[in-house]
Amino acid sequence: MVSAFTRIVASHHALVHINVDGVDCVAPAGEPLATSLLAAGYVMLRHSPNRHNPRGAFCLMGVCQECAIHVDGQIVQACMTPVRAGMVVQLRGAV
Amino acid sequence: MVSPHCHFDVLVLGGGPAGMVSAITASQNGLRVGLIDEQVEAGGQIWRAPWASSPQGYESPEARDGNKMRDRLALSSVTCLFGRRIWSVTDRYRVDLLGADGVEIFQAPHLIVALGAHERVIPFPGWTLPGVMGLAAATIMLKAHGLAPPKDWVLAGVGPLLAAVAAGYARKGHPPKAIIDLSGPSDWFAALPSLASRPGLFKQGVGWVLSIVSSRIPIYFRHAIRRAEGQDRISACVIGPVDADGKSIDGPEVGIACNAMMVGNGLVPGGEVPRLLGADQVYRHELGGWIPECDPFGRTSLEHLYAIGDGAGIRGGAVACSAGKLAGLAAAHDAGCIDAGAFAHQSAQALAEHRKLSAFSDAMAHMIRLRPAQVASIEADTVICRCEDVTRQDLVAAARAGARDVNQLKHFTRCGMGPCQGRMCGDVAAEILAQEHRLDRQAVGYWTARPPLRPISLQSMLGRFDYADIPIPKPAPL
Amino acid sequence: MSTMHDLIVIGGGINGATTALFAARGGMDVAVIDRGPLCREASGVNAGTLTMQMTRVALIPYALRAHHMWATAREWLGHDVGVVVCDGLSLAFTEQEAELLAFRAGKRREAGAPITLITGQQALQIEPGLSDKALLAGHCRVDGYANAYLTGLAFRTALLDAGVTLTENNPATDIRQTSSGFEVVTKKGPLRAKRVVIAGGVWIEEMMGWLGIDLPIKTLVNQLAVTERIPTAMRTVVGIANGLLSLKQYPHGTVVIGGGWQGSGSREGGTCSLLPERLVGNIRLACHAVPALKDARLARAWTGFEAETRDALPAVGPVPGIHNAYVIGSIHSGYTSGPYLAKLLADQILGREPDLPLFPIDRLLKPEPLAQG
Repeated sequence: MVSAFTRIVASHHALVHINVDGVDCVAPAGEPLATSLLAAGYVMLRHSPNRHNPRGAFCLMGVCQECAIHVDGQIVQACMTPVRAGMVVQLRGAV
Repeated sequence: MVSPHCHFDVLVLGGGPAGMVSAITASQNGLRVGLIDEQVEAGGQIWRAPWASSPQGYESPEARDGNKMRDRLALSSVTCLFGRRIWSVTDRYRVDLLGADGVEIFQAPHLIVALGAHERVIPFPGWTLPGVMGLAAATIMLKAHGLAPPKDWVLAGVGPLLAAVAAGYARKGHPPKAIIDLSGPSDWFAALPSLASRPGLFKQGVGWVLSIVSSRIPIYFRHAIRRAEGQDRISACVIGPVDADGKSIDGPEVGIACNAMMVGNGLVPGGEVPRLLGADQVYRHELGGWIPECDPFGRTSLEHLYAIGDGAGIRGGAVACSAGKLAGLAAAHDAGCIDAGAFAHQSAQALAEHRKLSAFSDAMAHMIRLRPAQVASIEADTVICRCEDVTRQDLVAAARAGARDVNQLKHFTRCGMGPCQGRMCGDVAAEILAQEHRLDRQAVGYWTARPPLRPISLQSMLGRFDYADIPIPKPAPL
Repeated sequence: MSTMHDLIVIGGGINGATTALFAARGGMDVAVIDRGPLCREASGVNAGTLTMQMTRVALIPYALRAHHMWATAREWLGHDVGVVVCDGLSLAFTEQEAELLAFRAGKRREAGAPITLITGQQALQIEPGLSDKALLAGHCRVDGYANAYLTGLAFRTALLDAGVTLTENNPATDIRQTSSGFEVVTKKGPLRAKRVVIAGGVWIEEMMGWLGIDLPIKTLVNQLAVTERIPTAMRTVVGIANGLLSLKQYPHGTVVIGGGWQGSGSREGGTCSLLPERLVGNIRLACHAVPALKDARLARAWTGFEAETRDALPAVGPVPGIHNAYVIGSIHSGYTSGPYLAKLLADQILGREPDLPLFPIDRLLKPEPLAQG
């Protein structure tokens, strides 16, 4: 994907499969999910609950809550959630 | 119910430079220390452990310092309680955590709070678009995860982080398409003399400049983002000139096609824990905003509560280390582990170092200070509170309807009521309110701190329980 | 010298602000002072529940009339306070609770509250979000909630429109009786009036002391919590038999969890803190009642003071022995009844016969303890 974020360091972590809105993706196990999603070209993650504007990861350090999406049915902050094999990710927020 | 672990003399919240050093110092001086952080490794943001690269890979000076301190921590007797989210801190110092194993409670007579800062981004139309990210986020991607923004990206904001990120990505072959710097060259020159005291940083800074120059990245000094455009993602931005105070001024606007933007305007101390406990607060513009009132050792107005690092005023990593040493010694002294003489002797060096480092940290803090005139330039329909989509005009209308302090503003508008708990909007919303009433920031106050310190799922708080175990209070009177 | 007002109200919560509003509309020159902004203590931070099922039996007739006032707030207050009228369900999960519920619902029904007892299955049909574990439920159509944090703006606008002199962030420190009425000493200088209303919430005890009256007021520290916005999980107000749960989802999606679980703190210190284990207990109870809440994230928890008299009934009426001094407050679970009681007090101050009797405080001034029950 032309506009995806680019990996510039070869990772020594094992690659695992995760499911993002029904699409199979590979990501390094243990990497924060938000980072993996950016690298996979998923920049928009959800819509704001009030005005339904598109949102993506913003602070990457657990503060802004913009990357709070559904993983295995629970709302989690993607930037604070390590990738695990078989994760089911839904790109939608709490609402 | 879970019972508290009470076997520590001191709990340190936050595993960045200030927290690590204070924990190590306190433990070296006889205290049993528990160091708590949400990340799985110590380092905080500045010393964030490189995650993606192999141990033999490229090392920045920060990574080197971080690794050195992580080694010291590993050799110390500090108990590391990582991978745990702090959700409540209450009196005499009980800390409720949420980790992989569920709820845990720790209690200790001393508490050192070193929870760092979060980024300030001055809002502009379109800053909520996907692909627009914080400058600090860029450093995390660069340092920890080896991830670069897509080819056409722009870098905007203010301060040394701007140069560090530009140079870091330029060296990796991913320079930004443009740098939009709120400061002008004269601001950078004004900061130069303070660098004389820090030859290592001076060298690093020169390296950054060389990398930026050799990459021929266009730099727009005294410019700011006017707006970002795009549908589901940023596709372009428009920049325009500002004056020395950060105010938008007339002049040619420049449109830049881009598909990512990293932008940051300094740091705001994350002082929620001392606030939650009721420690006295003071507004210090030059230190980033509201901070707990502290003595040179980090002692707050509450007995045995210490606040250090950027959460107690933006001073950077080096000062955080000396502050950590001072607070660790003070805790040891206050707990009766070292006598007054030893305390005076050991702290003298750290105090001297603290003073020596402050010239540089003051200059940097000045560079990344909030520019009230930049806030005044924010357009009416710009979203200020990202969580609740509250705009500047909503805040202005509330101010005109009589809201005079920030908590009233929150009630009138829901600004700050969303899951980020007002961290992203608090500084700017308070500034808008103060300007609207021509009050100083002290007068409009700060959000009341509330638990949980970060949102947590109800499920994770529940634990296993039977209905019969819920300690339901006795019936209310009929 | 400052203006001689007809009435000064000390305390701009729901009680004080409503009294002031109706007194002003009745033709009086009214001043309201508050130590902080309007409705920022109990009135602005409580759970907003407007229910008969947590109301004291003696207050049901008042609460029914007050509920109508809340529901028509736009008309008399002129401003939205987010009132939603909906069904209320009070649940019993054990045999013991069922017995308690049946007894309490019966007493409240006798007092006029339209509460009926239904099975857990019937309750599920009214509120599909409920757990299937309820044995019995009290069902009341006269229920609902206001959005407490909107009341400050609403009353501020209404009071100013009614010509009330409003001084926020101005604590009173004393009341002096003068030949022509009262002088209220405040941080921003003295204010004078022919009449005074003490409406200072949990701080009423101290204020009554300024008049030489000893009115003991107990302070409760109620804990509350709110989730972030979530998809619709419930459409009713849900409580439990003994009154220690209140649960409702606001139209914007947040769920407020309350019920009067106690935190720690004191009105003197002015600060209070949450007891985490009580918060966990309250949340367990909430998730037991409405299981879908488990998936929500807790955004914020806080505490608010609630005032309670010795018999947990309101203190509303003239101050004995002091002509033209009045008190209003300590209305247990009284958010529902507050505006109506305040309107009654305004009637009395305006020289009109109140439609229902007030709750004079003479009963609370006697030193001997009241009989239990």
